Formats: sequence, C-alpha cells, structure tokens
Amino acid sequence: MAEMSHIERVMAALTNAPADRLPTYPIACGVNRKLVNGGITYRDWAHDPKLYAQAFIEGQKYFDFDFAIGLMDLSVMAGDLGAHVRMDEQNTPFVDKHMVNSPEDYEKFQVPDIKKGRSAVILEGTKLFCDDLKTKVITAGFLEGPLLALTQTAGAERTFMDMFTNPSAVHKALEVMTAYDAEMVKGFGKTGCAGLCWDYLWGNYSCLGDSEYGEFEGSSKYAIKLNELTVKEGMALAIHNCADLPHLDTQIKKFGPVIYSMAYYPLIPDSPSATEAIEKGYADNCLVAGQIDPQLFIRGSVEKITQVTKDLCQEVKTALCKKGLNARYCIASGCEVPPDVHTKMENIKAVVDTTKQFGKL
Amino acid sequence: MKISQIAGFLGSGKTTAVMKIVVELMKRGHRIAIVVNDVGEINVDAKFIESHGLKAKEIAGGCICCQIAGTFAETLAKLHDSYDPEIVIVEPSGVAIPWGLKRAAEYSEAKADMIIEHAPVITLVDATRVDLLVKAVKRLVETQIREADVCFVNKVDTASPADIAKTEAMIKEMNPKAEIAHMSSETGLGIIYACDLIETKISPRYDEAVEEELLRKQYKG
Repeated sequence: MAEMSHIERVMAALTNAPADRLPTYPIACGVNRKLVNGGITYRDWAHDPKLYAQAFIEGQKYFDFDFAIGLMDLSVMAGDLGAHVRMDEQNTPFVDKHMVNSPEDYEKFQVPDIKKGRSAVILEGTKLFCDDLKTKVITAGFLEGPLLALTQTAGAERTFMDMFTNPSAVHKALEVMTAYDAEMVKGFGKTGCAGLCWDYLWGNYSCLGDSEYGEFEGSSKYAIKLNELTVKEGMALAIHNCADLPHLDTQIKKFGPVIYSMAYYPLIPDSPSATEAIEKGYADNCLVAGQIDPQLFIRGSVEKITQVTKDLCQEVKTALCKKGLNARYCIASGCEVPPDVHTKMENIKAVVDTTKQFGKL
Repeated sequence: MKISQIAGFLGSGKTTAVMKIVVELMKRGHRIAIVVNDVGEINVDAKFIESHGLKAKEIAGGCICCQIAGTFAETLAKLHDSYDPEIVIVEPSGVAIPWGLKRAAEYSEAKADMIIEHAPVITLVDATRVDLLVKAVKRLVETQIREADVCFVNKVDTASPADIAKTEAMIKEMNPKAEIAHMSSETGLGIIYACDLIETKISPRYDEAVEEELLRKQYKG
C-alpha cells in the first residue's frame, strides 16, 4: 500500500479501514522543550503558551509523529485551584502542599478563572500548536479528570479515605472539579484541536473497585457528562490511563472513546498486555495505544528500544490479524515519555522509525 | 546504600514508627536519611529531623512510571553525593506501589557511584481500624500488604485481641508469604525488631530479568 499521510493513516486506524502501517506516538510532550531555542527550562515551557506550543511544533518536525497531544503535567489544575506547586527549573512540578485538612475544606473549592494561570497557558498554547499542526497530524488537548484533579489538590490518601467516611463532602468537591473541567472543555473546543484526551487515572483496580469508581468518577454526574460535553464541543473523545489494572470495561466499552492509551506492567498479575487488550475486544471499536515502558526512553539504548518496538509491532500485528482488525493499535509509550533532561531523544526517534519499518501492514 | 520502605495507609502510625526506627538505627551508629512521599500529607517533625542531624528529602505524589521515578532517583543520588547515608528510610504515601519505588530507587545507580540494596519492605496495618480499612480502601491496603516482606500489625497496645486476630487473618489471606509481627509505634514495641530487619536482612531487587523473561515469552507466544 502506498504511504499515507499522518492524518490519512490515523483516520484509517480510527475507522478500521486498511492502512499502510500502524500509527505511532510516543507521548513526547515536556521533553520536546529540549528542541526549542537549544533547550529551555520546564518552568519556562510550562508558563509561556508560545514556548509550550513551539515545543510540539519542533517535536513534530524532528520526530515525525502521527499525533500531537498537548499534555503538560498533573499539577496544572491543582495549582490553579490554589494548591502550592513546587516548580523547579527542570523537574516535573508537583503539589507540595495539599488543600484539604478537614472534611469542611472539600466545600471551599471554587472554579478558577481559566483565563489565568497554567489553565490559560494550556488553552492558548494548544490553540497555537493546533493552528500550526492541524493540517499535518491529528491534534488533541489533554485534561485531568475530576477525581484526578481532586486527588492532586486534596491528597490521594485522604480523598480515598474520605470517599468512605465523608462521601458527601467529596462529592461536593467533585462537582466543582467537574464544573472546572467543563469550562476547560469549552475552552479546548475553541482551540481547533481534533480531540480531547482525558486522564482518568483512578479507574484502576489496584485502587478502586467498579462501584467506587462508578460513584466517584464513572457516573453521569462526572466523567460521562464530561465525555458527552467533549463530543458536543466538536472534539473526539480520547482517554489515557497509565495505571497497572485499568477499568477497561468502563473506560473503553462504556465511555466509548475513539482512542485509549494504556500502559503495561509485566510483573503485575493481570496487567493487560497489548495482545490481551486486542484479544478481549477492546480494540474492536477503539484505537488502543501503548505500551512501551516510558523508562526505556531514559535508561534504554537505541538498540534495546528498537528491539522492544519491533517486538511490539509484531505482537500487535499478529493479534490484530487474528481478530480481523486493521491498524487498530498505535505504538506509543504507556505513559508520557519522561520530561527529564536526560531522556534520550534518539530513543524517541528510534520508536517512530522502527514503527515505520516494522509496523507496515 | 540500603533502601528501607515503611509503607502503610494514612493513619497507620507510619510517621511515629519511622521516627522511632530512625532514633534506634542512629543509636546503633548508622548514618540515616529519610525520604517522604506526598510530603504535604505527612507531619514529619522538621525540628526532630534537624536536631538529630538527619537528612530529609521529599518526592512527589503522582505517576511512578513517568514522573516520580526520575525525581525519586534524583533525590537518592543527591542524598548519596551530599550525605552518603548507609540507610535511607522511605516513607511512601498509601497510594505508592512498593515495586515501583524499588525499581525507581535502582535507577539512581546510573546517577551516582553506588549500589542500591533493599531492606525488607515493611507495611504497617492499623489493627484498631481494620474494619474501616477493609471497607474504605481495601484495594490499596491489599496492594501494600501483597508487596510486603514483613507486615507489622500496629497499635496492638490499644487494639482488641479480636481485631489483632482479624488483622493477622487478613494479612495471611492477602499475602501468605509475608512474615507477621506486632508493633506499637507509640510504646515502642516492635521497633527493635524492625531495626534488626532493616539492618540485617535484604529484600530482592526489582527483577528486570524476570520482566525480560515474561516479555520474551509473550512475544514468542
């Protein structure tokens, strides 16, 4: 088959039409800042929409991805809600002072002004890189789901315990997180991105069962409402979940995303491999993406990551063939490529180039 | 450098136990550092740390596969270079996964001239709240118990014999291989034994060879 454009390939994968090869997108986001002006700090990248966008544009030129997805980090919403974020020059920022010290504190949250803070940086930056890249690749914004936004702000241990001991307080906070997310969805709807990728991390059987996840995120009050709003605002629904035991039935079969990005942990019993995800039907109606170990991008050699990518391509093609599917798998990292200054750019390139060669269908 | 993880859910008595373990290990002549996860949630007594000449570092809560691993490894490498502790006590959050921290700790070997070894992974389980824990956060508690080498039934000074027995039964069911011991971090019961374990025993490294073998079988299959 003749070589397709990035957009043609991804559209074929999304509709299960024949494609020239498997699509690929190592989730390289913050690490792309190394390509801007000879390398800029994380702090600068995360606070300037033009630099934020430029990183994705330069990343596309250098790596030749099939997607561009605008992930920053998981402290953006918490920071704009008022939690203190430790922002080093180069390390991934994180919340170092949570906002909930008593159940009453859950009721004090307010939706922040999304025209300020890093919410605004993401929205403006997403618009800038989408303007540049939307004719070349499939673009998407990235947003933390309401339960993730809350645990980042309130602290995960406390939130999980309070789900049981003070559920009404947690629900009140989640309503605010959902309203904040809804504002962001509308904002992303104006950026021109083709899709919006949700991080629904806590749909993970290591942490929550079906009923708890259903009550505190998976219901029509929260995730389902936001998923519907995403589509209503003109964006395709995508979901990312790098947990070890993701709630695939809920997050793929019930939520119905067009793309689902997941990780794989070989040493965790029942962590679903690419083959298992395909065999069990999760790629039947969804483009599944994964599952290269993100740490290989720092620690692995080019030879090693090339071999891993080659093996994954072969595994996936075999599984897809058995299921009668075409290009319903995207060769990706199971989680963001570490936005670390030591991440090897040549390893990202190796994944893309190996997929081009060995992902042919 | 030896890494000692002392895990347990919020309210399990981790911080009190860690402080007493640190004092005891220092009495035995060891140079100690502490690394806490989700620092905002854990009331580490800064004055205590300062007055005893310890080094405390923090790592962020978040995603172990991409974000935390690098930060944690960096933290350990910096500790090694600046303070050279023999034992680093790691007090992870109740949502951290012990194998992930083991693996991330070993990454620090690439950032500093040292070899990492692991003390037995210790998980504290609060016997006075066993029913609540099972109802509220069973999966998280199960993950931590499943990955422990030694589970200490904590707060045995105030828990009823029935609750202690129930806690022990739960641990056995979730992790039949784990050793079970008793602790009262308040009275000091079990602290000496915990220190003996940390000082003399070794827990296996995160096994990349096993992971490679599993991946090999998967691809061949």
